[in-house]
Amino acid sequence: MSEQPIVVCSFGETRDGLPAGAEEVLHIGRGLAQTSGAPLLWVVLGPLPERAAETAGLFGVQSLHQIDDEKLKMNSSDAQVAALVAYGKAQVPKALLVHQTLEARSVAPRVAAQLGGAVVMNGISVSPIGENFEITASAYGGDTRAVYEVGPGPVLAFIPNAAIPEPTSADPVAAEPFTVDLSAVQERIEVIEPACFDGPRLDDAEIIVSGGRGLGSQDNYSLIEQLAEALGGIAGASRPLVDDGWVDSSHQVGLTGRITRPNLYVAIGISGASQHMAGCSAAKTIVAVNRDPEAAIFQHARFGIVGDALEIVPELIRAASAG
Amino acid sequence: MRIVVCVKEVLDPDAVNNYAVAGRLEIGADGKTLTQTAIPRLMNGYDEQAIEAALRLRDAGADFTLCVLSVGTDPDKLLKHAAALGAEELVSIQVDPSTLDPQATAKLLATQIEASGGAEVVFCGRQASDDDQGVVPVLIAEHLSMSVVTVAREIHIEDEALKITRATPEGDEVVRAACPAVVTITNELGEPRYPTASAKIKARRVKPTVVTPADLSLSADEIAPKVLLKQQFVPEVQGNCEFLEGDAAQVAGQLLEKLRAEGTLQ
Repeated sequence: MSEQPIVVCSFGETRDGLPAGAEEVLHIGRGLAQTSGAPLLWVVLGPLPERAAETAGLFGVQSLHQIDDEKLKMNSSDAQVAALVAYGKAQVPKALLVHQTLEARSVAPRVAAQLGGAVVMNGISVSPIGENFEITASAYGGDTRAVYEVGPGPVLAFIPNAAIPEPTSADPVAAEPFTVDLSAVQERIEVIEPACFDGPRLDDAEIIVSGGRGLGSQDNYSLIEQLAEALGGIAGASRPLVDDGWVDSSHQVGLTGRITRPNLYVAIGISGASQHMAGCSAAKTIVAVNRDPEAAIFQHARFGIVGDALEIVPELIRAASAG
Repeated sequence: MRIVVCVKEVLDPDAVNNYAVAGRLEIGADGKTLTQTAIPRLMNGYDEQAIEAALRLRDAGADFTLCVLSVGTDPDKLLKHAAALGAEELVSIQVDPSTLDPQATAKLLATQIEASGGAEVVFCGRQASDDDQGVVPVLIAEHLSMSVVTVAREIHIEDEALKITRATPEGDEVVRAACPAVVTITNELGEPRYPTASAKIKARRVKPTVVTPADLSLSADEIAPKVLLKQQFVPEVQGNCEFLEGDAAQVAGQLLEKLRAEGTLQ
């Protein structure tokens, strides 16, 4: 039998011609395959995203497998679990790596349970120790990092938190079909009303302007929207604003919301709690506006303005519109 | 009908964050545990909301027995709080939590649920605010061959099935799940209620049923952890913030100029 592979699994949402988070996890997978001397496989469930073959080449994927089936649509977690378990049994991977979407949060533990391996979520980095793995994961909402050791064959889910180096050029890897019989799968959860978010996504945004409790009142959130528009970006929020019902949960940046990686992240009236930073620390440039010069957000920011958001933001809108 | 809610004791995440933000969060000599004894221990906030989810079903007229389960060595405070809120059955599974991983915890909880007559619905918090793993509820569902619906913000019982609104990053999604099912509760559910003073006094007399792994016929092997915590550390943040000075118009102008000069803005 050939060398046991490191397998990257992608399923569910696609963005910009690739499964969500695919590049981040392929980057981690490539590193792990190299350090553990194993081939890197990439399995994609459902229709093949248009940039998959090219991306597989860039990240040193040896084989790109596609499991396509009518049953592998969105909201098909029972079919996704069945497909990944069948694939895992056939390939006997050293480790299965996934990007941590909300779907992955329920699919990954089930796959691990059925394959008999360990499961760890919120992964940031991983390295081999003999046949085992050491995975560093975020804990306490990002306040600490926990280092776990797991045995062979784990399912590990990663949250992106750093920029990926530009991959070198390489030939595309043609996708090969991998067939799994899913005829017996019956989804147990029926979607009555799908989520219908159709605006621009925080995950894809190059520029994000987020507001927090420092705005004082719900009415002032419109300043965040105006500044986002003036900068050509989109508006986000910290969790307290979502909990208080100022904005809906699709705006939430943070560990339990969207994990973003924009070029520019402008945090207005946000203290910089770790749980929020987990959703924006991959931003290239962070700008913070806060009344409190000791606010934690300034430890993460490239540029800081100490002052009242209600005085500063209108000036920022003016300056941005003048550009 | 029987509804089971699983609850975990955690260190107060706000207190942990306050220490972290002040740069004073410390890890003990074992390299794994937080040392601050001043940090209160309390019920995981999402689990408190899981109890609240069950109580809201009761408010809406659903008739069920509410059982609250916890794994740990000292769950009295948690379980009495649950009793004061209206839980009829309290079960404490006595194991040192530091010897467990999520898979072992799920095995203990699922075995107890099954051994005590099962459940139509199991509510759990979406994740514990200490390890943030969120794996236990999904594995309980897997052990009990139940379906699992995550991040619920609103739940109704309709025709003996659950109609659940999920707070997803794409906005609200409404799903139907047949019972039995495991449902995880997210913060968007809203504030949990407080027990009344008289309910608290009554709850003092309630004794939880104490169960050990041996009572559940689980061997040490069956609850051996697969995920071992080796180390915990506080990540370093590199602060290199350049503070802009001047009045509001001046700092706004400076900022835009700098962002354009760096190419961050066109």
